[in-house]
Amino acid sequence: MFGFIRPVKPELRVKEADRFQQVYCGLCHAIRARYGRFYTLFLSYDMTFYALVTGADKADTAPPCRKRCDAHPLIRRPCAAPDGALERAADVSVLLTYHKFRDSLADEKGPKRALAWLLCRLGRRGYARARARLPEADREVIAALEDLQALERDHCDSMDRAADASARMTAAVVPRTGDDRERVLRQMFYHVGRWVYLLDAAQDVAEDLEQGNYNPVVLRYGLQSPDLTEIRQPLERTLERSLADICMAYDLLDFGRDADLVRNIIFLGMPLVTKQVLDGTYQTNGGWGKHGSL
Amino acid sequence: MDPYKVLGVTPQTSDDDVKRAYRELARKYHPDNYINNPLADLAEARMKEINEAYDMIMNERAGKSGAGASSGGQQYGGQQYSGSQQQRAYSGPNASLYSQVRQAINQGNLGMAEQLLQRANGRDAEWFFLMGTVYYRKGWYDEAARAYTQACQMDPSNMEYRTALNNLNMSGGYGGYRPMQEASLCDMCVQLAICNCCLNACCNAGC
Repeated sequence: MFGFIRPVKPELRVKEADRFQQVYCGLCHAIRARYGRFYTLFLSYDMTFYALVTGADKADTAPPCRKRCDAHPLIRRPCAAPDGALERAADVSVLLTYHKFRDSLADEKGPKRALAWLLCRLGRRGYARARARLPEADREVIAALEDLQALERDHCDSMDRAADASARMTAAVVPRTGDDRERVLRQMFYHVGRWVYLLDAAQDVAEDLEQGNYNPVVLRYGLQSPDLTEIRQPLERTLERSLADICMAYDLLDFGRDADLVRNIIFLGMPLVTKQVLDGTYQTNGGWGKHGSL
Repeated sequence: MDPYKVLGVTPQTSDDDVKRAYRELARKYHPDNYINNPLADLAEARMKEINEAYDMIMNERAGKSGAGASSGGQQYGGQQYSGSQQQRAYSGPNASLYSQVRQAINQGNLGMAEQLLQRANGRDAEWFFLMGTVYYRKGWYDEAARAYTQACQMDPSNMEYRTALNNLNMSGGYGGYRPMQEASLCDMCVQLAICNCCLNACCNAGC
């Protein structure tokens, strides 16, 4: 995932901003405890969102513990106490990160490919452990990834078809509880995946045009130049539909904790990032340069 | 079921505020928002729960005050929505096939509907409309818009096609979210502020 999913900090309450940082740090520690340092390098706000949503059915929040880490070796920072949801988010994080390496290995050329190869080698052992913990999710992700690669090879010009393969991956990793909650989460994360994929494609239009890479937005609208103004309206509309579906799934989810924080991310953060990407004003670390802080 | 918990109010909340809470929730879970949404059944269950909770509270309060009158609050979401209200009888070479497709879509069997559509002879407006509905249900909104637009172009007089396209472009019914609107609302404020400044400047200069 790419870090599009983040809260709008000015709209957060102080305790919510603290909680977000604690879950971010808690996820990092969970990954480190289960898979070692390597995978903590690929920690993202997107996975923090995942941890928050999948853990939100719990009624109470354990008081944060204080821990040191590589990024903050001197001061002990408050971290969310490890629980089942965080550990599962750590497993999913490793699984998706490794498959992203594999995807880069298949797509990229030159030095990037060499880097992807190296990351795959380094990540192999962690992946084997994550796969053992989430075998069904892993199978579904692999199948979806193969579909996506086939669509890329065929230069598929349907945005939805390509986004569907990607969205199936994020839908595959929701907790398998077999009840309505799983259905709602699947629907929510399907559209989170669709939104991230299409937004990422929109963000990469200029780069992909230059390098001749596969880009579903370029092919769908037959773009010759990286200017998005012409297609802004239809693109925004289709992204907005996914956002509306995420909102409606949110409304059907029962929250025991973190409801307002998740609400901020879904109802404010994601629309804002959509707008920024389509305007061309999106920045990866828009004032959030510091590691782990908002 | 605790009716107060369902509506998010307390026994001390005034009747007006209970009504307001009820309306707010009813707007959120209204079936119109969930047309073609795979979670429509869950929203419907929520709606039913909210209606029941509201009735319970209002009946209880009416009993207590001794008035015995009915709650008087109009209920939302009572009517069954069926997507075929505006459906015009289709009479073409694929009539029986298309009715099977509609049935499959209504049952939520999208794979079957898609397979059936592949078997059709030729692609007319109805074909594109049904294909668009399959895409819509799957959450493939760009393909759905394309197919609906095609259907509308081929048969501009068909109200069912037009309504479907409008629904799609409106982000799901009237109560539906427009997540982007909040984000661009700020723009409008800025524009208004700028207009205001300009006007002030002009007026001042004139005086």
